Amino acid sequence: MTRQRLLPVLLFAGVIILALIPLGLDPRGYEMRILCITLLFASLGQAWNIVGGLANQISLGHAAYFGIGAYTSTILLKLFSLSPWLGGVIGMILAVAFALLLSLPTARLKGHYYALATLAAGEAIRVIANSWADVTGGPVGISVPYLPDGSLWMMQFSTVLPNYYLFLAALVVICLVFWKIKSGALGYRLRAIKENEQAAEVIGVDTYRSKLIAACVSAAITAFLGTLYAQFQFFFDPDTVFGVATISVKMALIAILGGVGRLSGPLVGAAFIIPMEEMANSYFGSSAAGLSQFAYGAILVLVILLNPHGLTALFAQLRDRFTGKGGSHDRSVA
Amino acid sequence: MQNLLTLLQTTIDGILIGGVYAVISIGLSLVFGVMHIVNFAHAEFLMIGMFIAWFAWNYAGIDPMLGAFIALAVTFVLGMLMQRTMIKPILHAPQVSQIFLTVGLLFALENGALLLFGADYRSVSTGYQTQALTLLSTEAGRLFVPLDKLYAFLMALLSGGALWYFLSRTRWGRAMRATAQDPMAARLMGIDTDKMYMIAFGLGVGTTAFGGAVILPYITASPTVGSQFVVLMFTAVVLGGLGSVAGAVVGGIMVGLIQSFSALFLPIQLMNLTLFVIFILVLAFRPEGLTARRRA
Repeated sequence: MTRQRLLPVLLFAGVIILALIPLGLDPRGYEMRILCITLLFASLGQAWNIVGGLANQISLGHAAYFGIGAYTSTILLKLFSLSPWLGGVIGMILAVAFALLLSLPTARLKGHYYALATLAAGEAIRVIANSWADVTGGPVGISVPYLPDGSLWMMQFSTVLPNYYLFLAALVVICLVFWKIKSGALGYRLRAIKENEQAAEVIGVDTYRSKLIAACVSAAITAFLGTLYAQFQFFFDPDTVFGVATISVKMALIAILGGVGRLSGPLVGAAFIIPMEEMANSYFGSSAAGLSQFAYGAILVLVILLNPHGLTALFAQLRDRFTGKGGSHDRSVA
Repeated sequence: MQNLLTLLQTTIDGILIGGVYAVISIGLSLVFGVMHIVNFAHAEFLMIGMFIAWFAWNYAGIDPMLGAFIALAVTFVLGMLMQRTMIKPILHAPQVSQIFLTVGLLFALENGALLLFGADYRSVSTGYQTQALTLLSTEAGRLFVPLDKLYAFLMALLSGGALWYFLSRTRWGRAMRATAQDPMAARLMGIDTDKMYMIAFGLGVGTTAFGGAVILPYITASPTVGSQFVVLMFTAVVLGGLGSVAGAVVGGIMVGLIQSFSALFLPIQLMNLTLFVIFILVLAFRPEGLTARRRA
């Protein structure tokens, strides 16, 4: 009981501290940028956590939603000077539409197969963005039109300080959404699916619908974060925002490192991964291209080898695996 | 007449490249069939095979068709070591762990190669690269077989045949299939299943590296070349039924044909889009063939 009382207090204190940190820093400085990106990726990890952590659907294609969000608002801003707030909402709608299109056939897939299908879907969108140059600008990338008189409505500012508070607000909202889902009816349904999907179905959980809702919420959040990212970076290309390594796997890695399915997971993961990556990049520069991604890979492998069963401490799933092993006669080699 | 020629030429191209895809995918299917692990890092061994063949060509003047055997031997040993140190601990772990271990391995291998070799593209030059065998020559056009693709196809046939012989005709091959079917029963019959897993993984990545080496004459090597083949090889394997080596051959040739035919109708950048869509649809609508094992 005391833990439940303590948690909101701790979180509130955490938000206050995060809100006060920039006061001691140069608002145009490099540290502020790192903090911004850390907050953004904590949010992204949390969005992934809804699908990957709660429903145990390992998505390797979330970059699709992120890129859709980034491109939609930027293209609309370029063509019609539409506020990124509205463009972001349209991006969310498109991302949800894509999530539905993808989930209708794939939501029933589990484990490896879901991971493979989402991986292919993300790559398909990246290929389209690269070749549809009339709209997206193609592989050379796209830049957000610069507005000298920046404003909150156009989501453009002269320093990154407002971006920082925007990202912090987004993180707080997304964490609340995650907590609401986790502790609500949907969260219990998803947990039931995670523990034993067949049993969940038997007791009357509409597993398909639950997974669909989780996928749509996660997609919408990810897309809006894409818009925030676009308005923060001002320039991006398909391989960055639709990248498997740069977005999809990074989101998952952040959620997994800190503890998959937990509210604190992505916060811890992002606080660890992003500053480390940024420092490595600025220290080694372009002389060591690929170093940070090499480190990702190595960290992932190490974390799993240290505790192969620890990522999802679910005895039910293990039991399922062991009982399922007896029935593997129908496969053959050759 | 010209349309017919185009059609025939496209079919020839598709089958030639498909044969190589088949060999690349056999390794992936073998690993899944024996260990029930989906190895996301598998395409990186194709990249490693290409680099080994390139170094053999560059420093010792060995033709990639022969360098392929070096690639096979080196990656076979490397694969066995990796199986012992990384794959074995996760054989019975939850799928989340299996997915992220192999995804982590993918990034470590791809970017490790980038750190070691740089981002340069490396290609070989051989005497047969620009030559082609003309099958038919009419005033409407001609039907030809590029020699580099033909050689790669023949090497693929050779390695596929050797693997088939190993699996179906030798004691070790039978032991491996027994391990795949029922590890417990295999152990009771005195088969060292741990050893079988190691050999299967070594052979799986070795076959894929072999396939990577033989395509070096017409595909340039770079650290990121594996990413071009990931979805392609998974599509081939899933089309033929995950875990079935014979299915991977059929799947590989189908992927080759799909690719060469979609190149007729779509711009080159979109060539793989057809594959992605087919892949997702196959995963979605033939799940019984893919997931039935866990329910059986």
